[in-house]
Amino acid sequence: MKGFTFKEPSELEQASDFLRDGSGGYILAGGTDLVTEMKQGIIEPHLLVSTSQIKEMCNIEWNQSGVKIGSMVTLSDIANSESMKIKLKSLVQATGSIATPQIRNIATLGGNLCQRPRCWYYRNSRFDCLKKGGAKCFAVGGSDKYHAILGGHSCYIVHPSDSGTALVALNAKVEIYRKSQRIIIPIVDFFTGPEIDVTRENILEPGDILISIHIPNESMAGSSVFLKAKERKSMDFAIVSVASMVKIENEIISQVGLAVGGVAPVPWKLNTLESKLVGMKKEDVDIESLCSGVFNDAKVMGQNGYKLHLAQTYLERALNLVLANSN
Amino acid sequence: MSEQSTHTPAVGTSYVRTDLEGKVLGTAEYTADIALPNMLHARVLRSPHPHANILGIEIGSATKLDGVFDVLTPFNVPEGKVAPDVPILDSRVRFVGDEVAVVAAVDIDQAKAAIDLIDVCYEVLPFSTNVHDSLNSASFPIHSEGNLVNGGPLIETRGSIKEGFDQADYVVEDSFTTPDHHPASLEPRAALASWDGTRLTVWKPSRGIHADKNILASALGLSPNNIAVVGPAMGAGYGSKDETRTSVMAALLSIRTGRPVKLELDREEEFLAGRRRHSTYTEIKMGLKKDGTITAVHAKTIMDTGAYLSSGPGVVRRAGQGILYLYKCANVKYEGQLVYTNTPTAGSYRALGAPQGHFALESLSDKASEILNMDPLEFRFKNHVGPEGQPGERTTPRNQIIDTQPVEGGVPFSSNELRQCLKLGAEAIGWDRRDYIENAAGPIRRGIGMSMFIYRGGPGGQSNAEISLDQDGLFTLNVGFMDVGEGSSTVVIQMAADTLGIPPAMVRINGGHTDKTPESPMTAGSTLTFSAGHAAMQAAKDLKDAIINASLKLIGLGDSEGLYLTPNGVKSKCGESISFLDIVHNAGPIKTLASVTPGSKDYIVNSFGAHFAEIEVDTETGHIEIIKYIAVHDSGRIINPRLAEGQVRGGVSQMMGFTFLEDMEIDPHSGVALNASFLEHKSPTIMEYPEIEVIFADSIDPIGPFGAKSLGEPPCIAPAPTIANALYHATGVRINDLPLTPDSVLLAMKNLL
Amino acid sequence: MDSHLTSDRVDMDDNETTTKFIVNGREYSLKIDNRYTLLDILRDHLRLTGAKKGCDLGECGACTVLLDGKVVNSCQILAARIKDKDIRTVEGLSQSETLHPLQLAFIENDGGQCGYCTPGFIMAAYPLFESEEELSTEEIKLSLAGNLCRCNAYGSIIDSVAYALEIKTNE
Repeated sequence: MKGFTFKEPSELEQASDFLRDGSGGYILAGGTDLVTEMKQGIIEPHLLVSTSQIKEMCNIEWNQSGVKIGSMVTLSDIANSESMKIKLKSLVQATGSIATPQIRNIATLGGNLCQRPRCWYYRNSRFDCLKKGGAKCFAVGGSDKYHAILGGHSCYIVHPSDSGTALVALNAKVEIYRKSQRIIIPIVDFFTGPEIDVTRENILEPGDILISIHIPNESMAGSSVFLKAKERKSMDFAIVSVASMVKIENEIISQVGLAVGGVAPVPWKLNTLESKLVGMKKEDVDIESLCSGVFNDAKVMGQNGYKLHLAQTYLERALNLVLANSN
Repeated sequence: MSEQSTHTPAVGTSYVRTDLEGKVLGTAEYTADIALPNMLHARVLRSPHPHANILGIEIGSATKLDGVFDVLTPFNVPEGKVAPDVPILDSRVRFVGDEVAVVAAVDIDQAKAAIDLIDVCYEVLPFSTNVHDSLNSASFPIHSEGNLVNGGPLIETRGSIKEGFDQADYVVEDSFTTPDHHPASLEPRAALASWDGTRLTVWKPSRGIHADKNILASALGLSPNNIAVVGPAMGAGYGSKDETRTSVMAALLSIRTGRPVKLELDREEEFLAGRRRHSTYTEIKMGLKKDGTITAVHAKTIMDTGAYLSSGPGVVRRAGQGILYLYKCANVKYEGQLVYTNTPTAGSYRALGAPQGHFALESLSDKASEILNMDPLEFRFKNHVGPEGQPGERTTPRNQIIDTQPVEGGVPFSSNELRQCLKLGAEAIGWDRRDYIENAAGPIRRGIGMSMFIYRGGPGGQSNAEISLDQDGLFTLNVGFMDVGEGSSTVVIQMAADTLGIPPAMVRINGGHTDKTPESPMTAGSTLTFSAGHAAMQAAKDLKDAIINASLKLIGLGDSEGLYLTPNGVKSKCGESISFLDIVHNAGPIKTLASVTPGSKDYIVNSFGAHFAEIEVDTETGHIEIIKYIAVHDSGRIINPRLAEGQVRGGVSQMMGFTFLEDMEIDPHSGVALNASFLEHKSPTIMEYPEIEVIFADSIDPIGPFGAKSLGEPPCIAPAPTIANALYHATGVRINDLPLTPDSVLLAMKNLL
Repeated sequence: MDSHLTSDRVDMDDNETTTKFIVNGREYSLKIDNRYTLLDILRDHLRLTGAKKGCDLGECGACTVLLDGKVVNSCQILAARIKDKDIRTVEGLSQSETLHPLQLAFIENDGGQCGYCTPGFIMAAYPLFESEEELSTEEIKLSLAGNLCRCNAYGSIIDSVAYALEIKTNE
């Protein structure tokens, strides 16, 4: 690890200034991923800017329109929140399924959304892969068991964030500090695939700071479920995950959110299926036929074909569960 | 033991592990915890290529860096060897991660900075990352002998398989593969060396400090008398920590710089430079009579030994033992071939090849019973090797100890409670229910499976122990073996204490230092309880006699007959007594040294067991959940039930990784190990731990110390075939390739694509 | 202890942070090279070696300590961030000669084999011992799911923690 300067400002503007242009600076949230990347020599920051003293990034605020979760709120604070256990079941399930108790106590929601992929070629400093500015994706024709079946384009990472999958299905928004302005965008637009820029997984530019995540009341009024397939029950990333959210009003499905994780470079939102479900009566939903063909665009590689089957199974199970829970 | 003795036996009780207090306090010192004044830190430069010649190394800029003291390269180290095929450093590298150069610097960051400045000129060679490629006649030789170790297979045979298969009504055959399974002990390898100008002291995790001393001496060209090897507490190794290059490099750096040098491997290095379990490909065939009699067994195993041989010959031999000996059969043949590849080296890992061999054999047995339309348990009851041993003629000369891995027939076992194991396990799991399991609608299928095993029982060559009555009236056992977490110190104390007739709390154990202990075998092959136990018992017996003789003179009695030891000292029938303190005060400390080579010239000493599991399979997700697991073991008399149970539960759980999760993923294009981390090489967590019921068969071995046989490795042998057989029972799908990850189960369900 | 915890070689400029923190009740004030983690500080500088460097990547739990009462992997905490933090390590559990009930329970139930993971497990279990809630075996397992034991002594570890909690309840 190379030496670096450490800053811990208490104001957003200050933090943003430190990070602006060519500073070589990185935001240090929980650091569970960033410090690992530094130790493994994948990144070599000159400057770390800790955002743990910026108050509004550390709070959970319930207000009239919903809940605003500061990006520095830890995963265990979410997973253990009694209110969220009732109102945001899928987010609680997702955050509670991440990593280990030790990591959840330190890792933050913002950090989880912005963490880098787990692709074993990306994580190994011996491979100068596309994502690291190199010439090729080594997963293509290599060991691709955990790689993307959807949206791969040129780089076949899967987005590692379980909370991201849950939040996409909850139609959350993110608030970003950019050039002294605050912008709020749907979280689905926060994530970007390799076709936009292969070296990153979201829209953040140098100097941008992810302040908070907003979840609207409508999403919390329904029921939600997060399911995760992993090989090991703890300390494992999703090989496939599915988040679902359904709200029923007057016996008609009025809101739906569906997202699949572990299959694509971004949390994969199932827009078409969502719109098909809206307006249906719960008892008219034939899950199997509705879900069939949902992943027709999938392109499997040498060893990751099983993900297609798993995604289909978990989608059906997540829909089943969320419909059973909603009334 | 004297009849008058009031001694409460320690053997058979769960005496508390002797070294646990330091471990719970955090004060137990492991190699990496030790720091010496002026100590330098070393770091290894590792090969980025799977196969290359090193044409030159430019170390000028590295050596000029502030705080850098020395750089070792293949071109500036002495000619010595750390293993027959491993020099101190080699100008040929054979896997990604192989050692190229080593830097010693004031701290680890500076050592790393120096590593970055070393410029190596490689001539890149063709490479092979799997046995298939290595066996290709056009493949590039990894060693001068080629890619086949010894140029051909190890062959062991009894009777004639041709005759056996000729007699068969059915022949059942199949092929099986097992993964590269990494022990990944939590403590990465480390070595600390200190040269004082004449003598070298090396601290290292070790399972054989005396063996390590001899290797260090021969590699460095030093007299063994000028070397002390110290084994601090060891963060386990499960057999894998017999690699010595790490300590030789640290020692050489210390000799050259005149300062203590510590070399700690990081986690990835432990995966790369450590030792893994050999992956295998086995073709196996069984001849059967209609009545279920086995007429022949024939297996051919190919094992990937990686870049170097390490303990491969022992592993390939052990993989065949179940095939040769678990079932009563006159005609058997085992052929085992080790093959070099440009991948991290395979070596010893708990039970060596036995889990691989038994996976093939015990999966095939279930297949055989199906062809015979026979219950798999009944098939085992009918065919398991009995106390009388195998048919055939003894070939070992009468005056020689019988090998614990025999091929010959005509020799009975000293004890064999395999039948009892089968019965107890069947009862505990409820085997009767097996044919009547009803599955509810939905994707979940339930099944019950079992398998059995045979393993060496403990005799392990010469073993020495020294025991003394000390100035303070307490006893000290000096033993050269290492307790690597299995609890051998504790059970050996129990046996010595009972032999003396005193409480175990009066016996201390001294180990882990070659200057202070007699030679002892390695902690290997599940031999310690048996071999070190016998040595300790003999030394204790001799010490007891010596103490009684000394006290005889002191009390002035003429007859040793009525004297016995109590916690306070020696007592006579008539009530006279003398305290241990008085004895040592008058006679001085008393010490005895015993050297024994335990074993039997008439019997095979082997351990046995049978495992049973009930599982649930989610046929849509490929997930397998263990509902109930029963492990029944014949390990003779159990010296310490709690420790023994811990060994079994731990061994079974460790093999859940081999069965369900772990495999080393080598990138085919670069030879890079992609999952050399705890996150990606998915060892079981506490969440994977199934409820495991441990049952010990009622067994007392007439040869074993206090009737005990081996237990360290046996728990690892049966888990994989037990689960695979249960999976077949649950789903009708047999998977011959481990591990049983969700994707492989799904593929096998043919539900897919 | 008040010293400069930096290597004696490189010009650090602002690659250092001065910080004050508490370990096992004792206050330290140090100037720290920003690259060090809490684990480095504990092991190399305070010579508290109970926390082990099993992976240094947050993947094994052998370095688990309490940071303001929460279990964390000390290898993931940059030392520059421990300002004003209260840190507790396994060395801070026993009171002079008296072992903590958790430590006693691990001895009673043979909760360790090679012992390398043991301090980490004991620290991970510590908040359970402090908690007033009654915990199921499953909840105990979930709390210990960040610690690897390669001896797989998990059965005895679960027994040890359950035993400690039971003893506490019965007291």
